[in-house]
Amino acid sequence: MKTAKVHGRMFHRRLTLLSAVMAGVLVLLAAQMFRLAVVQGAARYERAERRLDLVRFLPTTRGRILDRNGLTLAVDRPSYLVAVEYEVITGAWAFEQAAGRARSEDRAAWDAMSPPQRDAAVEKHLPGFEAEVQQVWSTIMTLGGLDRPGLDRRLDAIKKDVQTTAAIVWDRQLRRQIRFGRGDVDPATFRPRPIREQRQAHVVLPGVTDKVAFAFRRAAQHLPGLVVKDSHRRSYPWSEADVPLERAGLPRALRSSDPVTIRVEGVADHLLGGMRDEVWAQDIQRRPFRDPVTGVVDRGGYRVGDVVGTRGLERTFERRLRGERGVLRKRLDSGKEDRQEYARGEDLQITIDIVLQARIQAILAPGFGLTTVQQYQAGWNANGTPRETGLPLGTPLNSAVVVLDIENGDILAMVSMPTLAMGPLAPEPYHDDGRRWVNLNRPVQAVYPPGSIAKPLVMAAALTEGVHDVTVPIECTGHYLAERRDIARCWCYRPPSFITHGELVADEAIARSCNIYFYTMGDRLGMTRLARWYRRFGVGRPLDVGLLYDVTAPDGTTSRRGESGGAVPSETLIERLRGRGELRFASVIMGIGQGPVSWTPLHAANAYAILARGGAVRDATLVRDRGRRNGPRRDDLPLDDTVVATVLEGMRRSVSEPLGTGHHITYPDGTREPIINVEGVTVWAKTGTAQATPAAFDVDRDGTPEVQLDNPLHAWFVGLVGAGAAGDARPRYAISVIVEYGGSGGRTSGPIANEIIRALQAQGYLPDDIT
Amino acid sequence: MRSAPARTRVIPRPRLVMMRSVGWLCVGSAALLSVLGVVVIGTVPPGPGEPNLAIMHIVHLVVGLIAAVAVAVPHYRVAQRVSYPLLAAVVFMLVFVLIPWVPEAIVRPRNGARRWINVLVTDFQPSELAKIAWVLALASYLRFRENYRKLVGLFLPLALTFIPMGLILVEPDLGTAMLFLPTLFAMLIAAGAKLRHLALVMFIGLSLAPAMYPLLEPHQKDRIKAMAAQVVGDDRYHNDIGFQGARAMTLAGAGRWTGVGRRHAAALITYNGLPEDHNDMIFAVVTCRWGMLGAMTVWGTFVLLCAGGLVIAAQCKDPFGRLVPVGLVAMFFSQMAINTGMSIGLMPITGMTLPFVSAGGSSLVSAWIMVGLLLNIAMRRQRYLAREAFNFDGRDDP
Repeated sequence: MKTAKVHGRMFHRRLTLLSAVMAGVLVLLAAQMFRLAVVQGAARYERAERRLDLVRFLPTTRGRILDRNGLTLAVDRPSYLVAVEYEVITGAWAFEQAAGRARSEDRAAWDAMSPPQRDAAVEKHLPGFEAEVQQVWSTIMTLGGLDRPGLDRRLDAIKKDVQTTAAIVWDRQLRRQIRFGRGDVDPATFRPRPIREQRQAHVVLPGVTDKVAFAFRRAAQHLPGLVVKDSHRRSYPWSEADVPLERAGLPRALRSSDPVTIRVEGVADHLLGGMRDEVWAQDIQRRPFRDPVTGVVDRGGYRVGDVVGTRGLERTFERRLRGERGVLRKRLDSGKEDRQEYARGEDLQITIDIVLQARIQAILAPGFGLTTVQQYQAGWNANGTPRETGLPLGTPLNSAVVVLDIENGDILAMVSMPTLAMGPLAPEPYHDDGRRWVNLNRPVQAVYPPGSIAKPLVMAAALTEGVHDVTVPIECTGHYLAERRDIARCWCYRPPSFITHGELVADEAIARSCNIYFYTMGDRLGMTRLARWYRRFGVGRPLDVGLLYDVTAPDGTTSRRGESGGAVPSETLIERLRGRGELRFASVIMGIGQGPVSWTPLHAANAYAILARGGAVRDATLVRDRGRRNGPRRDDLPLDDTVVATVLEGMRRSVSEPLGTGHHITYPDGTREPIINVEGVTVWAKTGTAQATPAAFDVDRDGTPEVQLDNPLHAWFVGLVGAGAAGDARPRYAISVIVEYGGSGGRTSGPIANEIIRALQAQGYLPDDIT
Repeated sequence: MRSAPARTRVIPRPRLVMMRSVGWLCVGSAALLSVLGVVVIGTVPPGPGEPNLAIMHIVHLVVGLIAAVAVAVPHYRVAQRVSYPLLAAVVFMLVFVLIPWVPEAIVRPRNGARRWINVLVTDFQPSELAKIAWVLALASYLRFRENYRKLVGLFLPLALTFIPMGLILVEPDLGTAMLFLPTLFAMLIAAGAKLRHLALVMFIGLSLAPAMYPLLEPHQKDRIKAMAAQVVGDDRYHNDIGFQGARAMTLAGAGRWTGVGRRHAAALITYNGLPEDHNDMIFAVVTCRWGMLGAMTVWGTFVLLCAGGLVIAAQCKDPFGRLVPVGLVAMFFSQMAINTGMSIGLMPITGMTLPFVSAGGSSLVSAWIMVGLLLNIAMRRQRYLAREAFNFDGRDDP
């Protein structure tokens, strides 16, 4: 290359320019390469590596729910499900197989065929494949015990479901394409892609036993599109129970020497809740299986196909019960497997005694008679004629019961009637309109005016605040306001006789439930102090026994549901009442538990337990291991022993002495029978007949209400019970009973409380030998 | 010892061919890249029933070498003489592949593109030949003229370019068509066209480009969109229209400095589902297997090839011999820049091979024909001309 003497200038300058441009491009390329390989290299390597891993997630087992004695209330049981590919369900499979066969028979001929000729060729092969599909159906019918209409119904439901989903998905696809720039989409030519459900197998037989599943597995080898999968079924062993009950202690009309066996369905189902097979967008949003931003997998997160706790404890303790999936990681190039076992969900032990709960549920069952409208509940006039019952005799009534262990706050039983198994679910949000809505957990969710059962609390408040001296009697004049005879009357002051209680001291006032006495207390305490004392007894906020859950509304606001707090007048309400000049009257009637105050049956039992403990507050407890607080607390009530003794004495007399409102039922022949007739126990109780808002009732359940009650009454009976004779016994359990629109607290709810005490005794909670 | 014979003056006959030339640098680089191609193609072993593309690459390489020798032997003035007829023939073939009623036995569309003519032993892409024919024809056109130093004089070279380019664009083969413009500009710059004219043309072209956007095929628009999104780090298209680009970038980056080695690279490429890993996306395979180092090696070898080509142009005296290497180098460089650029997310994805390295007969053979042409020019003894070509210094008249 000796000749390389370079002549000229411009051409070579231009070559230099071109070289410079190329060098510039190379620098750009190298810079980008540096960015990819060196700056982001590690991350990109990670991402590429991830695709070498085949990850499968192994199902986990949900934790059990156990009762206080370790009995299983909810458990995952292994089971199997039989599914069929969607294409087999629609029949598309047979057609495609036939077309494939026809095409492969003679490729060249097929290419030359016209569409009608092709159809004819396919037609020839179709029957064979259709017969195979029929074989699938007959296998499912034989092994699964289904008849043809039953199977068709299921298949139609699947088809309808998939088609609906597809319509929604395709509509969304089309809209999205129109919206995001691929603007040339014409709805007429839009070709939807098959949705995932159209390529999946769909469950035809869920919850199949292992024996049947094995038979299906063998059959599936020769049948198209039949899939048998492992699954779990949430099982509730106490979904049904037969409870034998004595009837000897019942009111005369129901009494019998023969015991009766009551079948109860869904024992504690309000508490336990249930599962839904469908994952909602909210679930995934709350705890996504794969974080949408970082892509990190939460093994306990939600994905389609999961089951989700939907009510009760299954919902509120979802996180604890749920557990975490296992991971099976398979390296695609080397085939190496790495297995991370699933983490089983934690068990949940609750304080409920399920046998007691079942017994009480049986006591509340309409079949037992205590919660249906009976003449003894309304009573008879002095001349022996039956009083008006309001609702027709035999009408089933809603009711609720709470049984609380006074010493530690354990909830032993909490029953809501009707149970979920008994009727239609109410629309959300729930309105308490007196109908038999089943999905209301009445002991913690339904709020009622306390009525007279508030009187022991008001008494304790008045005596502690010093607004009244326990030794000073108050005279019952029939009506509290001298100028008005028609309002703020005593319950006994009514036509035709307008009797009054006369002069009463503290304990007798409770026993006789004199309104005038407690109007006086309310008046003297005043609204502010009354409200404070109701709050001290736990009213006005949910007691949070573990059934509270958050609901986020579409507008983003969060509210807590599952337990109600009841109502206590706030400062603003007090001011408003003062402004309207109604404050005094409101305070007066709040003295007897009416007016702007309401609570749940659990609040009632809890307040009575506080009273029985002499003012010590314990958390009402439904779920174990929730960090219970023991010992003296700042919010303990400063109740004097003599105050407590006075109040309890009044309550004891209420059921033990003939003057008490909870003592007896009088029959038309003039005989009296005691309401509480269990031997060997002492009962301190208070009846309450609380005014409810006017309501209309659809007794025959035809959809239109036919009975209108203008002045309906809820029947309360709240009490304490201890073993042994009066004087020796100390209160062990607090029981609160309410029957909606039940009328008299003593006559309607009293006999129920009596049977609950009998049940406690039968379950060994009130041993005879304790003195 | 005999006395020395009478001193005879031996005038050596001027040798027409000089074996020692910078052309061998180009041959060497091309050979290195071709061998690298065999190795890279062999990264992912063929599955059962699949052709062994590495072996086919060797076969194509042999064919390419023979073609290169065939092209290198006759003096390049032959190439100049046949350049116009050759371009005419190529244009005819480009039209031929587009005729819809040509039986599929001869022109079989693949993925909706009509690019290939079946010549019994193999399929042949006229567009590959068109690149060469057009460079030769353009060099022929420009060699004795000066009118392209006026603005209107640029019209004819542009027109000459748009004919094959337009036909290739309709096939459609956006990638190959895209090579013509940078090559044209490189040749015009080398030929001494006024830079301000070229800048003006480029400016007009770039301002018209957005107006051309609606004329693009939907999938081409998608790819431009996907690349734009990728550059700003938006990964929303990674599973559809931007899939190929995203996977290629991931694998390119995964090699880091020195790569992950053959077996690991094969696994990564297979299970990451990189499409076109033997062809358009082969650069991603290189960088995955050898990392940044591999990328620099490929680029470096291309730099040697292009530098060799430019030195050949610089050493050549005659105008045709000066322009052809510039055109071929521009062609190689553009193709390399576009192909590697799209593997690392700097260019939208178009069907485009990496010269010498990608599997594909037409591509490899035509690349070696181009190397043959370079060698041909490099080895010819220079004639002394009255005036050196394309030096317009001091004549910057209007």
